[in-house]
Amino acid sequence: MELTGLSLTEVLTVLGGFAAAVTVLYLLKLRRRQVEVPFVHLWQQVLAEKQSTRLFSALKRILSWLLALAAVAGLAGAMGDPRHEGASADGRTTVVLVDTSASMQATDVSPDRLGRAREEVTRLVEGLAGDDRMLIASMDATTVPLGPLTGEARVLTDALDRLAPTDVAADLGRGLRFAHDVLRGEPRPRVILVSDGALPDPGSAGARLREAGVEVDWIPIGVGGPNVAITAFSVRRYPLDVSRSEVLTELWNPGEDEASIELSLLGDGEVIDVQRLRIGAGERLRRFFTDVSGADQTLEARVRIEGDVPDAQPADDRAYARLPERRRARVQAVTAGNLYLSAALLLDEYLDVVEVTPADYPAEGRFDVTIFDGWVPATPPDTPVIYLDPRPPEGTTGPFVITGALERPFFDRLERDHPILAFTALGDVNVAESLAVELHEGDRAIASDGRGPLIVVGSRNDHRMVAILFDVRRSDLPLRVAWPLLLLNSIDYFTMQDARYLSSVETGEPWHLAVPTGTEEATLVAPDGSEHPVPVVDGRAVASGLRAGFYHLRTGDTEEVFAANLGPSDEAILTPAEVLEIGGAPAEAPERGTPGVRTEIWMLMVLAVLALLLVEWFTYHRRLTV
Amino acid sequence: MRRRALWLALAVGAGVALGLAAVRYATGAPTFEYGGETYELLAPAAVGLVGVTPLLFFALSLSLADLPLAQRWLGALLRALLIACLALALARLARSTDVTRIATVFLVDVSESVTDASLEQARARVQEAWEARGEDTVRLVTFASDAHVVAIDDEEGVPALTRHEGDGGAGTDPSAALQLAYGLFPPGHLRRAVVLSDGGQTRGDLLAEAARAAEMGVRLYAAPYAEGAPPEVAVTDLSLPERIDVGQPFPVRAHVYSTTATTARVRLYQGDTLNGLDAVRDVELAPGDNLVEMRSVVRVAGPVTYALQAEPSGEDRFADNDRFSTTVVVPGRPTVLYVEGTPGRATYLAAALGAGDYEVDVRSPRAIPTSLSELERFDFFILSDVPADQVSLTQQDVIERYVRDLGGGFLMAGGESSFGLGGWQGTRIERMLPVHMDSERRRDQPSLAIALVIDKSGSMNGESMELAKEAAIATAEMLSPDDYISVVGFDSQPTRVVRMQSARNRLGIVRDIGRLTARGGTAIFPALDMAYQDLVVTRARIKHVILLTDGQTQESGLPELAQVMRSEGITVSTVGLGGDVNRALLTQVADVGGGRAYFTQDPHNIPRIFMRETSTVSRSNVIEEYFQPRVVSPTDFLRRMDISSAPFLHGYVATRMRPSPAQAILVSDLGEPILARWRVGLGWSMAWTSDVKNRWAVDWLRWSGFSRFWSELVREHMRQRRRQTLDMTAEVTDGEARVVVDAIGVDDEFLDGLESTLHVEGPMGRRAADATEPLDLDLPLRQTAPGRYEARFDLPRFGSFVLTAEHHREGRTIAESHAQLVNPYPREYMTLEPDVELLARAARLTGGGNDPTPAQLFDPGDEHIRHHEELWPKLLFCALFLFVLDLAFRRVRLFDRKFRSAPSARDRRR
Repeated sequence: MELTGLSLTEVLTVLGGFAAAVTVLYLLKLRRRQVEVPFVHLWQQVLAEKQSTRLFSALKRILSWLLALAAVAGLAGAMGDPRHEGASADGRTTVVLVDTSASMQATDVSPDRLGRAREEVTRLVEGLAGDDRMLIASMDATTVPLGPLTGEARVLTDALDRLAPTDVAADLGRGLRFAHDVLRGEPRPRVILVSDGALPDPGSAGARLREAGVEVDWIPIGVGGPNVAITAFSVRRYPLDVSRSEVLTELWNPGEDEASIELSLLGDGEVIDVQRLRIGAGERLRRFFTDVSGADQTLEARVRIEGDVPDAQPADDRAYARLPERRRARVQAVTAGNLYLSAALLLDEYLDVVEVTPADYPAEGRFDVTIFDGWVPATPPDTPVIYLDPRPPEGTTGPFVITGALERPFFDRLERDHPILAFTALGDVNVAESLAVELHEGDRAIASDGRGPLIVVGSRNDHRMVAILFDVRRSDLPLRVAWPLLLLNSIDYFTMQDARYLSSVETGEPWHLAVPTGTEEATLVAPDGSEHPVPVVDGRAVASGLRAGFYHLRTGDTEEVFAANLGPSDEAILTPAEVLEIGGAPAEAPERGTPGVRTEIWMLMVLAVLALLLVEWFTYHRRLTV
Repeated sequence: MRRRALWLALAVGAGVALGLAAVRYATGAPTFEYGGETYELLAPAAVGLVGVTPLLFFALSLSLADLPLAQRWLGALLRALLIACLALALARLARSTDVTRIATVFLVDVSESVTDASLEQARARVQEAWEARGEDTVRLVTFASDAHVVAIDDEEGVPALTRHEGDGGAGTDPSAALQLAYGLFPPGHLRRAVVLSDGGQTRGDLLAEAARAAEMGVRLYAAPYAEGAPPEVAVTDLSLPERIDVGQPFPVRAHVYSTTATTARVRLYQGDTLNGLDAVRDVELAPGDNLVEMRSVVRVAGPVTYALQAEPSGEDRFADNDRFSTTVVVPGRPTVLYVEGTPGRATYLAAALGAGDYEVDVRSPRAIPTSLSELERFDFFILSDVPADQVSLTQQDVIERYVRDLGGGFLMAGGESSFGLGGWQGTRIERMLPVHMDSERRRDQPSLAIALVIDKSGSMNGESMELAKEAAIATAEMLSPDDYISVVGFDSQPTRVVRMQSARNRLGIVRDIGRLTARGGTAIFPALDMAYQDLVVTRARIKHVILLTDGQTQESGLPELAQVMRSEGITVSTVGLGGDVNRALLTQVADVGGGRAYFTQDPHNIPRIFMRETSTVSRSNVIEEYFQPRVVSPTDFLRRMDISSAPFLHGYVATRMRPSPAQAILVSDLGEPILARWRVGLGWSMAWTSDVKNRWAVDWLRWSGFSRFWSELVREHMRQRRRQTLDMTAEVTDGEARVVVDAIGVDDEFLDGLESTLHVEGPMGRRAADATEPLDLDLPLRQTAPGRYEARFDLPRFGSFVLTAEHHREGRTIAESHAQLVNPYPREYMTLEPDVELLARAARLTGGGNDPTPAQLFDPGDEHIRHHEELWPKLLFCALFLFVLDLAFRRVRLFDRKFRSAPSARDRRR
């Protein structure tokens, strides 16, 4: 027996104090009423009986005292909340992993799968034996305990209240690893999965759990129902013609019946397209929307099954995308006059170009990019730079040490994967002459003749730099599409506009979101309006979210919208699994305890004391005790 | 007695009613507010126990106690209160209250990157907090790639910290430890967690988890290990140039990190063997990153794996990170198919191209590929001095499709059997070339008289006759207006179909030839004699007979007639059609007649044979004179050579340029094309009208620029692999490989709807000791966005992997992607410097700080937490107090006004 309430010392102190008080009270002699009786023979009779009852009275007094002490001891002992010594050693230790992934929002059972899971776990809690302990954890992409490992039903039901659905795919392997960590060294370990069974292969985690002797049980949830899911939804601008974009929507009908559906596309919250389609059983249907217009910022796709049978899974009926934003870039072109340069910069309507002559450099205002055409300032500017034929004036040093000239160079070596060279064809460009230069450490020639570099990327003055080492006017480059592409790719490279832009992030994954330079703090506003401070590391806010929808990232005065969707998964499958294999063996149905069997010794003691006090009350008033 | 029974019944009834009412009330409203605090009955049914209180009052009615009535009633009231207290205790009355107790979970990194000294410091730190905890709680979790709860003994304190067994130590996942900690905080405690680590996380995301911890009310503190990094040398990167060419030396750059100044021997392996150019080097390593550059060369195309092995001279904690391997796919050399009509003379060009880094496959005309798939593997096709009749129509068709559809490069080189001389006029190949096979200069040549002696016996009936007529017509059209032609048809008797006349009268000649009909037997001699009679009276510089027959003939006198004709300057060539011809006789006639004998089974060859023969005898297309080719269109491959320094060519086949876009690059002194090109479909078709052998180009063979000229020419015009290459990137995160293909077409359109398959192979260049099975996976790539395809797979192996993706549309491969994936060793061994900033950021995010003292840890400050406090112990205490009070009221008489105390002893004495 061990005490989990007051310590033994405290119990003994309480017991001693009250027992002493009781004893003192019993030492007090109650003064009886004085009754005068006129008859002597009566006195004689009383005096004669007095001798015979003295012993009985003494015994009655001791019995009463002992009863009182028993009551005091019972209550003091109950305050110590005694438990069996082996309670935590012999009881069963259970980790309940409640699947909170997207599929658990299905409404094929009432009220929904998560609600049914909650009811099941409540029954498990009610069936806990006195020595059992349980930890309840929610399992989606990560596994998070909702409370401590405890035998307290109240604490466990409190934990259940914190269960919340997520738009995330479950990671069973991670959940089992967590359970393994919790159960290591615990007596009679057991894991109970409460899930629809739409779970990925846990890998080696299941086998490790089995090897550790952990019992793995499963309570299946759900009966199945019709569902058509949006499994992919994204939008991309075309790399060259950034004014156009294309949308991909992938629908999946994992059920066994063909379905008629209505697919709606919303731009900035307004319906811009509605299509009625039929999708066969098990079919994945891709729809591409080209040249999407009617939206500036956000796109949303919604799918609805037509007819009487409702879609049993609302979580995958909506998907979100953020149209890639085209940032306006301010460009300072320092040139003595170069029509080819001016014409190329005019091609991009998102560029604000200011042309100045070298004599007027620098122009007023802040710029995102500076282009030096055939001239180089004494000190590099505080912006990314594109150098064209970087010949410094005499007496100054340019971005390179010039060692000579290359006659009739050719683009022999090209790093075709470099974003600056994307979509360009330079193999047959004719160049009259190029500068021969020494590269700085960190510089990289992305295009070169066998004799030296022709296009170099690197950094100067802590800013990125691209150098085209020849005068484009003495080449046929300006007559080719490659010329404006080269310039615009370079500007995009500086302004971090990436053709690989993703229109949404995946729920449950860590997000690394670009923030303006110099930002140190950011706030993430979730679709439900809740705000969360997030750290900024290396120019990117590190955040995460569990619900699909549009999030806002606040940084100072700016606010960026981005979309989050459920990543690729089988969460759309509503047909519950028949067997859940864990570690090479099927998970069994758990053995359930009998509700209400939990006993706590202090309660028994109090009930005993209560009975004792009632008995003592009656015996006192019948003068059986005093 | 009945009265008492009635009272008892009333008391029991009242008790039941009271109990039920209490239960009903309590279960209906188990929560209530009082004094600003919330109270709740967790087991409200227990309040029904107050139903026993009426029995207390019933007992009063039977009381024999020597107490005043009021005191008895007061006692009953106290006892009822006592029972109410016990009932409330059993009903588990609880209240919500603010508490400031603190539970701190120490998360101690015991991964392999942590030194033993750091672990001992961590233990001391936890022990210090344990001793200072007071009423607060301290728990301990150790973590590496997994997390363990460590029990702290009340008496012995914090145990020695041990590392995790197995592979558990080769990783660091602080977020998993933090998740485990959430389950260790007891209810009603402020939550603190202290991370003792070097900050090198290999799994999970501590910052993202810290954000969740903040939402769960956990304040995180960071306690980076003060102990510096252990002596360690690690190869952190091995990089190769983006493009490697076979035979071209290139640098191999390795980054070797060292925590201390030391020396190491590095060995570079190419595959399983030491690198040939630069294999072993002793290097001085400064603390930090060190660049080691070595040189290598690849001799054979294909995937090549490089591995750098470092052998530090001093202490080195981990051996796993001393080796880094990476794989590169070296493209193979371009392949040229060189078909030479006189294979014995093929060595000159083959050697020149071989020196220019080409694989050259020299073949005779018989070995020309007959299928596109066979020809597909070549990048350039040279057909040199091969007559048309040695290239079947199927082969010509394959060549044309190779150029047009596959983008192959094709060049016909000149010679005595090439261009018009080879009978190529009117063929598919001629239509594909940038030059016409006739020449502007023919009208200036001496005239030719030709007699066609054509077998029109019954066996020629049908297609053979029609093709013979077609050949005759083509011959007439080949001739210049100054030439002469006659056509003699023969069966058993000769017939002059076209009398000897100027070829200028084409319409009449063609009309007359069209009247040829097949019938009768075969008598050659009279027909040949008729041709002889026609020619002998004709004034022409060259007189020639072409005899076509498909029948057996045993006629005598034919060789003799041919000999006579030869003596008169008339040459005779023979053409045998089918398998029944007398080959010996026809060959003899041709030999004696100074001509050539041709035999074919396919009547479709007849026109080409006639044309070739006509060209040959006319010799009008051969220009044999010394000249220096002149550049008229500068092309890329000529820019880097001075063609004016080239020696003279000795001759060429005269041709005529096709109109633009055909482009003459080199011309002769007479302005006739020597080198010309144009685009045919996706490829280039070229004509080199001189030869590539030791006849006309004999001086060029000795020219130093000969090899470069042909190498550059082929390089510029050879097939650019038409399979588009799509960008593919791959990375490993948390043991999962993520592969992304960006599919953007050349026209800026996204390539959607591709069926793409990813092949993963590796680890490449495994060591012999590695007994595990290599990875060989085929995975589908799923389209996730316009022009974007992705695949994910677990990558439990370490080393370098080669990824290849093929992209299909409608069953045809339209593009491919290549990438390498390097997962050199567990990330744990890459953690060589503490990432203090990561820990500090995580702590700041939750409101915590760095290096907390126990006093700071256990100081709640303004913080408190709403705690659900059960009140039953207090109620039991209250019940005890009431019980003692109840007893006291029994022992002390309070209310009896008639009470008189017994006389004292002094009173009695009085």
